[in-house]
Amino acid sequence: MAGGASAADVRSILALPSPSTPGPSQPKPTAPKTARKPEGISRELYSLIGPSAPSLTAQLAKPRLKQKPNLGRGNKVAKWRVLAFVWRVYVLKEEWQEFSNPGRADSLKLCHWVKATTDPTAEYQFAKYNVPSTVYTYSQDEYNRLLEDKDWTKEETDYLFNVVREYDLRFYVVADRYDYPGGQPRTIEDLKDRYYSVCRRLIRNRPWAGDESSKVQLVASFFYDKDREVTRKKYIASLENRTPDQIAEEEALYVEVKRLEQNERRFAKERDELLKTIAGVDSGLPGVAADDEVQIALFGDPKKKKKGGNGMDIDSPISGPSGIISLGPSTPTRRVQSAKSVAYDALHCILRSDVMPTNVPPTKAAHQPVYLRSSRLPMPKASMAPKINQALAELDVSHTRLVMPTRENCSQLEGLFDAAAALVDTKKVVDKVDQEIRVLKARLAGRASVGARSEGADADSKNQGEQAEDGERDAEGEAEGEATEKADRAVSVAASVRSYSRKRSKRSASVSSVDTSTTSATRASRKRQRN
Amino acid sequence: MSNSDRVRVRGVTIHRPIIYGNTAEVIPLEERQSSSNTAHTHRWTVAVRSAVSAPDSDIVGGADDISYFIKRVSFKLHDTYPNPNRNIDKPPYEVTETGWGEFEIQIRIVFISDCGEKPITFYHHLKLHPWTVDGSGEAENPPPEVALKAGPVHSWQYDEIVFNDPFQSFLNLLTAHPPTPLPKAKRRPVPFHTANPASFADTKAGIPEFSQVMIQEEAERLENARKQVIAEQEKWRTVLIEKENELARLKKEMAEA
Repeated sequence: MAGGASAADVRSILALPSPSTPGPSQPKPTAPKTARKPEGISRELYSLIGPSAPSLTAQLAKPRLKQKPNLGRGNKVAKWRVLAFVWRVYVLKEEWQEFSNPGRADSLKLCHWVKATTDPTAEYQFAKYNVPSTVYTYSQDEYNRLLEDKDWTKEETDYLFNVVREYDLRFYVVADRYDYPGGQPRTIEDLKDRYYSVCRRLIRNRPWAGDESSKVQLVASFFYDKDREVTRKKYIASLENRTPDQIAEEEALYVEVKRLEQNERRFAKERDELLKTIAGVDSGLPGVAADDEVQIALFGDPKKKKKGGNGMDIDSPISGPSGIISLGPSTPTRRVQSAKSVAYDALHCILRSDVMPTNVPPTKAAHQPVYLRSSRLPMPKASMAPKINQALAELDVSHTRLVMPTRENCSQLEGLFDAAAALVDTKKVVDKVDQEIRVLKARLAGRASVGARSEGADADSKNQGEQAEDGERDAEGEAEGEATEKADRAVSVAASVRSYSRKRSKRSASVSSVDTSTTSATRASRKRQRN
Repeated sequence: MSNSDRVRVRGVTIHRPIIYGNTAEVIPLEERQSSSNTAHTHRWTVAVRSAVSAPDSDIVGGADDISYFIKRVSFKLHDTYPNPNRNIDKPPYEVTETGWGEFEIQIRIVFISDCGEKPITFYHHLKLHPWTVDGSGEAENPPPEVALKAGPVHSWQYDEIVFNDPFQSFLNLLTAHPPTPLPKAKRRPVPFHTANPASFADTKAGIPEFSQVMIQEEAERLENARKQVIAEQEKWRTVLIEKENELARLKKEMAEA
């Protein structure tokens, strides 16, 4: 029996017509087997297919056979495998190839079936779906300026970001593994709140390369309302924790409310009609809220409640679409202009701005007189102007003149100044940290060399001592090297800005001719060396 | 004029695009010798015009009449010129002269009295000698024969005259004369500007014209520069964070040692 069945199966798999039965119907003996609903297929679908589609059900049923290697069917499983193999190699022209997945950090080799024509060295086609999530990083300076929070220390925030990075933003895992030594216990909402708020602040305060709307969008995607989340979860929990009695009571109450409401409405209607027929006037009494929506909004639709209780959106990182919309770029106060008036304004070069209503009558002095657009070009902050101008000059951008000083271009220029100012700021901090590192290194080296002289023997400290002597020489060399490097920089600056991607072994110079503190810093450290 | 017209329309800013600048060409030698002032090598025209060029015209800009809001344009030439203050009360607002040297021309635009605005003053550097690649013009000027062949030199600056909260009457006047929009596409060479050295290639191609392409092109230039600066900053921020980590490590070492 089994042999006959498998022969028919082969035919159906290879889409060959059965010699005995021309139709697709299954030979009798297998009928009882296929009549049973196979696993991995819904009842509805199965009833649609019916038992008369043997090839499909057989294939769908296959994983079940694999999962439960039944001794009685073992023979059949093996045959299936052979068949599948033959099918792949000879019909589909496929090969069993080893491949490496660039999406993996380890070098695990797996194999898969691919078309024999595929290039074995080609990149694994699914690797691109392994999208590493970007986890933001921040400098000490940024932390001090933007990220201070009385509940969180910098160390704990660092720890949080490390854990988040390690577990790829999977907050349930993060919350599970989160164990900051000496820290207070944190709920998943605490962690999410801290993480998202830090990201939001970083995005908002860093210069943005794209346009404003994309920035707003990105900030909105990091929206997280902790209180709302907590309330939501509490609500779901209380909803889930209702006893059947409570549920029944609630439903009963709801029906009762509905009934009362209907009665009331009917009563009001009747009264109105009565008054109309008698006196020909409206009752004038406030009618009972005629719309169900109000009721639903107040009591909540019990059906919807049930759906929400399924916990489908418990894990949504964003607590609801309403939050995104309210954060969107459209502010309600903004006057909505019709397309026509926009075109009119564009034609006549008119720009309308909202006027703050003031009590003070407009004076002549307050009036901003006529001006040439180019005379109001944005200016960088005076303290940083030389450095910013230098940086822009390296980018072939004139900071004093525009070819077409339109309003848009002026604001573009302003954005550029802001970005450049941020760059100059960052560099200043880098130089400061650099110097601190240098000082610390020198001190460490000095201490180690003293230790080496006094103790002498220990291999480790001896090693350090050597380093220290080197360090002294290095410090001298570095200071001089810095000077020559600076000269280099001035020349190569522009070039390296254009190809900043090029890796440089030394500190990439680029716009760094901007920094001036380095020389004085090295000089200072050199002095300390001599002392 | 009714009283309601003397009300400022709050929250409205309206501008008119203009260009100012000059063209200059070398005077042929024979003409020079016949003229009274043989030292003058160039003939130049300094002008203030609307930004859009009229089709098929051989001048830069000037398609629209801008006399509806301008009362007078004064050009203050170098003191060596006879009566250096030239007041032009009617369009075209331009002065044509001969000379041998470049200098700063002070331009002063007086608006019609109805607008109640003070005159504005700005400067234009009279450009006689052909542009050089770096735009400095410091390089050696070519001999007159070569310059003559190269054709006229153009030096134009686009700008916008911005009126804030104009009087209703003045606003009406302005909206009655909408400026012709700049052509969307580039039809003629781009006027050279030192802030855009890339336009140098066009300097020899004939009469330039301002177009919207130039606005977009500049916006892109600034945008790209900003992106570069930001990319640079991202890089530096990574460096900074690394360095800070190193510093923290060193501090720890220090504390342990």
